[in-house]
Amino acid sequence: MTEHNQVMPLIMHIDLNSCFASVEQQARPMLRGKPVAIVNRRTEHASIVTASYEAKAKGVKVGMKLREARALCPDIVALESDPAKYRHVYHKLLAIMNDYSAHVTMKSIDEGVIDFHQAPEVLVARGLEEIGYEIKQRLRDEIGVWMRCNIGIATNRFLAKTAAGLHKPDGLDVLTSENIRAVLGELKLTDLTGIATQNEKRLNSVGIMTPLQFLDADKITLQKVVFKSVVGEWWYKRLRGWEVDDVQAQIGRVGRQYVLERFDLSRDEVVQRLHHLCESVGSRLRSQNRVARGVYVYAKTHERQYWHASYLAPLPFFSDQAIYVLVERLFHKAPDGVREIGIHCYDLEEPDDTQLGLFADELLQEQSVTRAIDGLNHRFGERTVHSADTLGTGIYVKQKVPFGSTRYL
Amino acid sequence: MNDETLLNELVQVVAIFKPGHHSCMPVRFKRGNGRVVEVSELGLRHPLPHGSKTIHVFEVTDGGTDYRLEFDSERLTWRLRMEADHYD
Repeated sequence: MTEHNQVMPLIMHIDLNSCFASVEQQARPMLRGKPVAIVNRRTEHASIVTASYEAKAKGVKVGMKLREARALCPDIVALESDPAKYRHVYHKLLAIMNDYSAHVTMKSIDEGVIDFHQAPEVLVARGLEEIGYEIKQRLRDEIGVWMRCNIGIATNRFLAKTAAGLHKPDGLDVLTSENIRAVLGELKLTDLTGIATQNEKRLNSVGIMTPLQFLDADKITLQKVVFKSVVGEWWYKRLRGWEVDDVQAQIGRVGRQYVLERFDLSRDEVVQRLHHLCESVGSRLRSQNRVARGVYVYAKTHERQYWHASYLAPLPFFSDQAIYVLVERLFHKAPDGVREIGIHCYDLEEPDDTQLGLFADELLQEQSVTRAIDGLNHRFGERTVHSADTLGTGIYVKQKVPFGSTRYL
Repeated sequence: MNDETLLNELVQVVAIFKPGHHSCMPVRFKRGNGRVVEVSELGLRHPLPHGSKTIHVFEVTDGGTDYRLEFDSERLTWRLRMEADHYD
């Protein structure tokens, strides 16, 4: 398996361009053609989640503070993210993709992969390029005229994603054994998904400075010297168009974090926000039909100090109250001057109702109360019933767009 | 700059219901002050779940100002929730 995969490319990667900014420009026609930045909170210190192409053209980058962006682009329009809107577009895109194959994987809220390997022959015979252009048109027809996407077609997920990034916005590229050298010759190592600073250093240390040199490196060097593990072999195969990334991620933990809206909050106010996060995480945990045994809490201070603590319980827990009791106990030792807090539950498992311990009655009562509260919140809307402690926190600790996971969409 | 004005104003709306991808299209609405707004484009329609009730959000424009209209599918009421103009 040393040669490039020569089979017909049947993996299509679809990536919405500057997704949230494009959706806002679609929703608000007067914003089209203007530099737009999406932030989670409209303050000068907020980081930019997405920038429109017009903003990017003026040097605005994702992750930049809004204040810095304004210095580069004074007329930038900052909008607070609107998750319901993006969720709708995600579901529309998913519905379109599902029309072509039963094997669709959404990688995040704005990108997904269609695997045509088991698609009907008549569909594949049309050619994936034609299907790609049809999907682009359907996005415009079914969502709106401003919606554009990049499409990449290749024999594996990695090369399809690489192809999708070649001609932004609105590109469609096919990457095969015939053009791979020409394409990689135009790229930098860090243009490749999965190669960031650390991996770049590793590759540089053995004289691999370009993607073409990476492609030409032998398997043993990558495996034994560069990555020192099977990861080297995966890269060797990945670059040659063989599939190594078709893996289903398991749910490992459920968590949330929050950057405090003000940095002069009292200790009690910080704990209230922590309580709010516990309720949010508890709700997410149960929505995935999981219970947890571990809880982890962290805090970042103004002095960039990172504090964390964790606890592994002997019995699984699931209720907001149970999570909060554990988190609050751990948080007692947190330093002052906190600017960011976060928690996550780990060691997740499916609930086992059959195995009741000595405190079965109490557990059943807790289950009943939790189910009743979840039922009310499902019927009347999120946070209809919650602890009195978090009455005033809802306007600050809002639900934001979950990146990297489509589990809660 | 950002010039969003958040509102909670009951409005009268004329809408067209038709088959197709955009099955409901507000074409005109009358505000509390009597001003009539002619909708020139529907930017996006999306649902906003509120428990088991669904609010339908219509982001529209009259060519100079963007508006956010919300249709409560349970109460059958329209509310103007936001207007945003002169982004310059």
